[in-house]
Amino acid sequence: MASSICLRCLRRSLQSIESSHRAAFSTSASFSAAAPPKKQGAPGGTGARPPAAGERKALRKRIVLSNTNALQVEGLEDFTGDKLVRHEPGTVTLDKFRGQVLGLDDETVDALRALESFKSTQAWSLFRRPATLIRAETAQLANQLANAEGDGKEVSRMVIYGSPGSSRGSGKSVMLLQAHAMAFLKDWLVVHFPEAQDLTNAHTAYQPVTTPTGTIYIQTHYTAKLLANIARANQKLLSGLQLSQQHRLPIPVQANISLSRFVELGAQDPDLAWPIWQALWLELTTPSQSESKDGLQRPPVLVTMDGVDQAMRSSAYLDSETNPIHAHDLALPRHFMNLLSGQTKLPNGGMVLAATCDSNRAAASTMDHCLARISAIQNNAQPPHWDPFVAKDAKVEAALKDVQALKLPGLSKTEARGVMEYYARSGMFRHTVTEGMVSEKWTLAGSGIIGELERATIRARF
Amino acid sequence: MPPPTNPTPWLRTFALRPRRTARVAFPIHNASLRHNSSTNNPDALTKAPKADQKGPNMQQQEHVSEEAAQMAKIQGKEGPDMDAGTPVQEIMAEEKDVKKNAPKVVKEEMKQGHEGVEARTETAVSGGVGSGQKRGFSTIARRRMPELDAGGQGQLDVSMIPSKAQRAVYTQDALSTEESKPGHKFPLPTTTPTHKNERLEPILTQLTNLIMRDGKKSLAEKHVAALLSTLRTLPAPKYSETRPLLPGAPPASHLPLNPVLYLTLAVDSVAPLLKIRSQRGAAGGGVALQIPVPLGLRQRRRAAMTWILDAAGKKGTREGFAQRLAGEVVAVVEGRSGVWEKRQAAHRLGVVGRSNVMGVGRGRR
Repeated sequence: MASSICLRCLRRSLQSIESSHRAAFSTSASFSAAAPPKKQGAPGGTGARPPAAGERKALRKRIVLSNTNALQVEGLEDFTGDKLVRHEPGTVTLDKFRGQVLGLDDETVDALRALESFKSTQAWSLFRRPATLIRAETAQLANQLANAEGDGKEVSRMVIYGSPGSSRGSGKSVMLLQAHAMAFLKDWLVVHFPEAQDLTNAHTAYQPVTTPTGTIYIQTHYTAKLLANIARANQKLLSGLQLSQQHRLPIPVQANISLSRFVELGAQDPDLAWPIWQALWLELTTPSQSESKDGLQRPPVLVTMDGVDQAMRSSAYLDSETNPIHAHDLALPRHFMNLLSGQTKLPNGGMVLAATCDSNRAAASTMDHCLARISAIQNNAQPPHWDPFVAKDAKVEAALKDVQALKLPGLSKTEARGVMEYYARSGMFRHTVTEGMVSEKWTLAGSGIIGELERATIRARF
Repeated sequence: MPPPTNPTPWLRTFALRPRRTARVAFPIHNASLRHNSSTNNPDALTKAPKADQKGPNMQQQEHVSEEAAQMAKIQGKEGPDMDAGTPVQEIMAEEKDVKKNAPKVVKEEMKQGHEGVEARTETAVSGGVGSGQKRGFSTIARRRMPELDAGGQGQLDVSMIPSKAQRAVYTQDALSTEESKPGHKFPLPTTTPTHKNERLEPILTQLTNLIMRDGKKSLAEKHVAALLSTLRTLPAPKYSETRPLLPGAPPASHLPLNPVLYLTLAVDSVAPLLKIRSQRGAAGGGVALQIPVPLGLRQRRRAAMTWILDAAGKKGTREGFAQRLAGEVVAVVEGRSGVWEKRQAAHRLGVVGRSNVMGVGRGRR
């Protein structure tokens, strides 16, 4: 049978593809394709050069933590370590500061900035210096942190969430930030995944690694970035710790290198990042030798992840058969999920926190169900049933089998009043803070959702 | 006619009155600090702040003729003609006390029977057609005065810098967090408008609608919100000596804390008082007659905002729209903006065409 395409024509057409400056097929246009021809300047334009790659994003994501126009709030107390000590059994001193705003000192702010705890959507840029409201849940969290340092080394593993669709701006990320601040004041090591979405939306390079339990996918560039954050934020703590074990690493490493230096090695080279990450965690999960002072000392660890709903479903990555990879098959999310579920123990104490994100919520129905179930059991209510016609995500269910759930409600009116007085004293809220005004704004803010309260009081009231 | 209560009514007949003070200190810290306080009265910015703090010409009584006209109306009589002014002599003829207390010059004039003192109306723009008299006063001439002699770039005007007492009062008023209205079980109802379209300041609504393109109002609102937060965080402006803002502008350091006032001050200061209407065929020979027309508050603001938005749009900087707009607002307050030239040009055209105003009034069209 004669072919429908003339062979000569076929060859010619193939030639044109091969000799073209653009690859025939590529998903990564910027690597393979030649630079597009330069525009000769738009007619009638201002003639300014176009913004460089990433310039506008950097501007959009910029974190500003100070406003010199705002008034200095007199009598603003600092969030200090002595407020985190045990006051009575079951409470810490911080409990007495409920409904007040406490300022963060410079050292803590630097660490929080290095961890990327601050978000550009929060109103830090309107005030003289960063300060945060102590709400009932913050005091509760402080109490749990104190428990983790006690004799039992009780490790809380908790998911902070709100009811889907109505908890946007309820303070979940700020809760994580407060946990970070408290951990710094207690000299804990803090590891924070700022956005789970960055790990699962296929924007960073990945590669398969075969393990005894199956194939997992490591993300070397992201790991290097994460190590850099850890090194910068925990500089003081890590520089006092030394490597204690022999690890199989691709490069020779000094036996008693400080952990700070060790982590920086991984941050500099993405190829080294994953082995160094593994070695670091082996070091951190080695139990301290409490009997002798000269023996190995390891600090408690706080591990947090924001926007965890993005990591509770299939990721956007594809495997070699072009099937979607489940987020828990990616090495870093899996590492976090093992900590969250309690599969990886933290022998030196610590805490694992995850927060969902409601402004960019992933459809993670198994997670929603699990959280609703845990919450119902905590409140001695009837737990909901799973819809039998919908497939359940077994990995997600296993990860959330044994965690606590903290559903963040709105502020109480006392807390709302505290934060509104802080707004007024900063000169940002130009009204007298009266009972009626507090009630009005509290109601407008959907029973004290703090993000909405902020919009109703200090942002333009659109 | 009953005796007027004003002891010096003859003063009222003169058109020359003291100019409003350039800057009345602090109109802003009025009793109610609600943003919406200006909703029903957008002119609130230019008014005096407190009942007990009056400007030099704010306690004026009614014009003697107006008073007489009102009295006559109550009594059912025919009062003086309000379209024409009342000559001093006429009043003095009736009022013995006034005649007795009149200044020497006036008395001498009365004796000579000189009829030179002619009553003028208050507005300087509409007067002076055909009478051949010298113009005593022109608002436009006064406005340009400081620009003309702006040689010395010295320090700021003293009135721009808040005194210690003013600072204390302002801070106390603006930042008090104490309960108000003791003695009431429940707070008194506020008079804020409840309709959704009136919950914002009129200037914000107007600006939002001017920024809006393709009916995307929420995007425009985002821009305005970003503008206000940018104004909050930018350094306080430095007032210019050559470009006076509205009388009663607060000290510059207070502006960033009240971004709506900041914006209002910028827009209202640079807003033109009039525009030119071209009346075709009115001048004869196919030439359009350039007639200056006074603008209302919304129209004035609209003109100013359009100029400011245009200027912001032409900036070649890399920042977002709201940042550029905020930069332009600051430039206006600091007197650097090109918008001031536009205002000046509009006013100059108005001066050029002012002789055309009366022509239309006579119905020559």
